[in-house]
Amino acid sequence: MAGLRLRGVHKFYGKVHAVRGIDLEIPDQGFTVLVGPSGCGKSTLLRMIAGLEVVDEGTVEVDGAVVNDMRPKDRDVAMVFQNYALYPHMSVFENIAFGLRMRKVPNAETRERVHRAAEMLGIPELLERMPRQLSGGQRQHVAMGRALVRDAKMYLFDEPLSNLDAQLRDEMRTEIKRLHQELRTTMIYVTHDQVEAMTLADRIVLLRDGVIEQEGDPLELYERPTNRFVAGFLGSPAMNFVPARIEAENGGLGVRLPDQTVLALPEGRRSAYADQVGKTILIGMRPEHMHRDREGEQRDGFGRISVTVEIVEPMGANTLINFHLGETSILARLDAYAAEQPGQKLDLLVDMNRAVLIDPESQRVI
Amino acid sequence: MTATTMRVGQRANLFADRNFKWLVIAPSIIVLLVVGIYPLVYTGIVSFQQITMMEEDTSWAGFMNYAALFSDGRLWESFGHTFLILAIALPIELVLGLLMAQLFLEKLPGKQVFIALLIIPTVISPIVAGSTWRLMFDNQYGPVNQIIGWFAGEPTAILWITRPEWVYPAILICEVWQWTPFMFLILLAALSNVDRSLIEAAEIDGASFWKIFFRITLPVIRPVMVIAILIRALDLFRIFDIIWAMTKGGPGSITETISIYTYIRAFKEFETSYAGAIAFLVIILLSVIVIFALKRVEIAR
Repeated sequence: MAGLRLRGVHKFYGKVHAVRGIDLEIPDQGFTVLVGPSGCGKSTLLRMIAGLEVVDEGTVEVDGAVVNDMRPKDRDVAMVFQNYALYPHMSVFENIAFGLRMRKVPNAETRERVHRAAEMLGIPELLERMPRQLSGGQRQHVAMGRALVRDAKMYLFDEPLSNLDAQLRDEMRTEIKRLHQELRTTMIYVTHDQVEAMTLADRIVLLRDGVIEQEGDPLELYERPTNRFVAGFLGSPAMNFVPARIEAENGGLGVRLPDQTVLALPEGRRSAYADQVGKTILIGMRPEHMHRDREGEQRDGFGRISVTVEIVEPMGANTLINFHLGETSILARLDAYAAEQPGQKLDLLVDMNRAVLIDPESQRVI
Repeated sequence: MTATTMRVGQRANLFADRNFKWLVIAPSIIVLLVVGIYPLVYTGIVSFQQITMMEEDTSWAGFMNYAALFSDGRLWESFGHTFLILAIALPIELVLGLLMAQLFLEKLPGKQVFIALLIIPTVISPIVAGSTWRLMFDNQYGPVNQIIGWFAGEPTAILWITRPEWVYPAILICEVWQWTPFMFLILLAALSNVDRSLIEAAEIDGASFWKIFFRITLPVIRPVMVIAILIRALDLFRIFDIIWAMTKGGPGSITETISIYTYIRAFKEFETSYAGAIAFLVIILLSVIVIFALKRVEIAR
């Protein structure tokens, strides 16, 4: 069991400053997901934790001891690679057993542990096969088995699902979550897929350009992003950003949209923006935080906009619609059958308690 | 366009599509037949005759030439010499080539230049290499003796080319010098194609450098390595130029390999049919070995 701590970690590839001063504490037994767009340094960070990359500056500490100069084999980590990295000349059994053999685990115990790992992943019938005889999903299982058979301090996953098709990816995601709940060990998982990040993580670390944009539990990042990048990265479909202005409106405060509609801010949020009247902002509204207003009632905390539907995408469980607010194209996720055809005029209620207001200059949520 | 003309046009296209592959490989097949198969068959025919270049008798001899092979002591000695060179040179070239390739996997300044320099011996014509090494080994003017002399502290005059105990080391040094770069190049290509993440996975699995090398790297490059060994083994089996340039098979017949002996019988003693029989024996032996070796590689796949 291990607590991992990074302090001021930097990585340079020639002139490229890939990781720029990461301070991070990774809790014991937790499932931490490092997520971000490609090139954000998340894989590099994971490889530095594994010991596969040299830490150019700063320290990596496990249980309070600095492990910067420790080789991967001495760090007692297990890792699943993006391309699985199965040894092509060994059977599945030998692939899974390799780490145990290298650590001089007795033969009988090796056999038992390999079988237990294979059992856990539902692949006992594959043990005699060679990697080239396996499908992508099976290879992925073997790669997982090779990590899980080890009794490591930490389990590292480097985009383990990115080479699978969508359905298999969904299944494996659930599988990994189940394994973590059973094993209760420290897992660090790298992905560029925000859905994987949201569903798997106890704790998300969102990176961009080698720095941490925000960290916290998934719903905290989803509901209370601290800047525009985090707000736009998490959630699918992504948040809509519309230029707007804060205005005083019959006693309260409101946000004036490009089509001149004013969305009133709920009472609880007004005081925060009292000194910002007249300020130009971006309002961020998630597609799922807009609803069709059929009754025309006035609900507290909701603002009303009238829109003309341009595209209708029925998804079954719900319906996506596209419309314009001023220059900005907006996507909203409504209930199933909430919109029928393009050209239709609808009234939508926007959940103003969950909308975020962003300063366009600093890109920070205000 | 009517339906009929379209169908005719399509059919012509289809014909071209289906037969294009034959058109493309035809020239090489024809060349192969003319320069490969015809001489082979003709050598086979000649080996059953009594042709020498001294007289006009071309009558059939049946298996006489082949029967004579078995009692030809010099022939079997030349086989022995060939296998001796093969058995010593091949492992040395393999191990040296592998070590050099492993070394050159690291990032080194001026790596490309060094690789290019190391390849040079392989690019030189073997006959030139042999002649140059004979001069290098010359007991009076050769730099090899001179350099050994510096270390020994006194003038040395090892008779490299003429003493039976020194002539093999001389030949082997030349052979290894010339062909190790070939092994190096092929193995370097194979090693640099080994997936980095395999090595990393093994590192994380707790394997040491040597464990990774023997348990992961070598098995992964094994198919390429087998091909390289096969190519070099065949080359060594028919080794000729270097030895001809250095010793002409001498002193006596002590460095006569199978190729040199065949050459001597055919073009110095003009026994065309007998040389044909030797050539055929070699072809049969090599074919068996090559087929067996290729089968093994295929099974490993």
